[in-house]
Amino acid sequence: MKLKNKETKKTSITVGFLFEAAKKRFQLQQLNGQVGFDNVVKDKNLHRPGLALAGYVELFTYNRLQLFGNTEIKYLQSLDRSKRMKAFETLLEFQIPCMVLTNGNVLDKEMLEAAGRKGIPIFGTPLETTKIAYFLADFLDDQFSPQMVLHGSFVDVYGVGVLVTGRSGIGKSEIALDLVERGHRLVADDVVTVTRKGEGILMGAGTDLVKHFMEIRGLGLLDVRSMFGIRAIRFQKRVEIVVELEDWKGDQDYTRTGLDEDIIPILNVEIPHVLLPIFPGKNVTVITETIALNYLLKHYGYDAAKEFSKRLEGVIGAKKKGSRAINYFEHDFE
Amino acid sequence: MIEREVRIRNKAGLHTRPAASIVKTAARFESEFTISKDGFEINGKSIIGVMTLAAEQGSTLLLRFDGPDEEAAATAVVDLFDRGFDEE
Repeated sequence: MKLKNKETKKTSITVGFLFEAAKKRFQLQQLNGQVGFDNVVKDKNLHRPGLALAGYVELFTYNRLQLFGNTEIKYLQSLDRSKRMKAFETLLEFQIPCMVLTNGNVLDKEMLEAAGRKGIPIFGTPLETTKIAYFLADFLDDQFSPQMVLHGSFVDVYGVGVLVTGRSGIGKSEIALDLVERGHRLVADDVVTVTRKGEGILMGAGTDLVKHFMEIRGLGLLDVRSMFGIRAIRFQKRVEIVVELEDWKGDQDYTRTGLDEDIIPILNVEIPHVLLPIFPGKNVTVITETIALNYLLKHYGYDAAKEFSKRLEGVIGAKKKGSRAINYFEHDFE
Repeated sequence: MIEREVRIRNKAGLHTRPAASIVKTAARFESEFTISKDGFEINGKSIIGVMTLAAEQGSTLLLRFDGPDEEAAATAVVDLFDRGFDEE
């Protein structure tokens, strides 16, 4: 399978977007009013401005989100009022997108106001520095991750994220519906957005508009959630295997042993790929379930193809050929 | 491969009915057909995909056709857009 889809990546988010998305999750509060919401964050890393406060501003990564932990606050408090203001103003010379104070810390009113005049918003959170740093870094990493839209049906089959792809009209949605009917959970149909999370993890989800609607040729649009209930859906899932459906071609070389694993890179993440020829009468749903189960077996250390191969080698070595699985039927005629 | 830029002319935008016309027209051809809007690219033969674009009047879309009958597919689909899906 060739992926011609375009990879997209956000290069910046506004502070307003960050605040709206993060205020509830990370208990952020505005400390100096609605200023600088159009400032942009372009870097997924955070910065602790301790050294800059102390006056060393060379290499100061001011364009990052500035995190004030106990260290920064205690340092400022150790200075007398005028020096404290001066130290803080050193930072205000730079175009900082926003500042976050952790542990419920606050700054002097005049400092908050001075930042406000410079268009730098200051948020406060009761969370500890390590916690909020982890959350914010994860949130920004997610926002700046590469994304791609894929055409396929994405279903959680026995806990394995299976992405079914193939040409239009080959029957992806029908398989997804069949899987849902058998107790599996639909993540998205037709339009699947995949995002690389961290290194080597690919997450898939639907779009806000479509959620769990799907189209079945001849029926039209269906809402899987209202039809099958909450057990039939989920919002996100790691993409773990790609099953590509293809019209049966006599000359195509399909795997017969499963010894060689085929992989497909999606956003530079290598995902196992199964090319599945289909023809009328073939139960693709059961095969998809089997693919998921086989993936689980492999994941837990059992590879059927390798095991069989090993067994065969043993028999070849022992030179006992063609014997029955049972050497004596005894008196059991059941 | 053929690329064509089109604009949504009708008032109601690319709602369900025009989306269905596009998908039906595209499905008559063998060529692959994708539509992109604001960096978001979908399969033009999928009705869910086309509706996901939520394209309003005046927005421009990039159509891409690739395959043995790309010329005919492009003509047929672009014609639909040019006629504003026969809507106001």
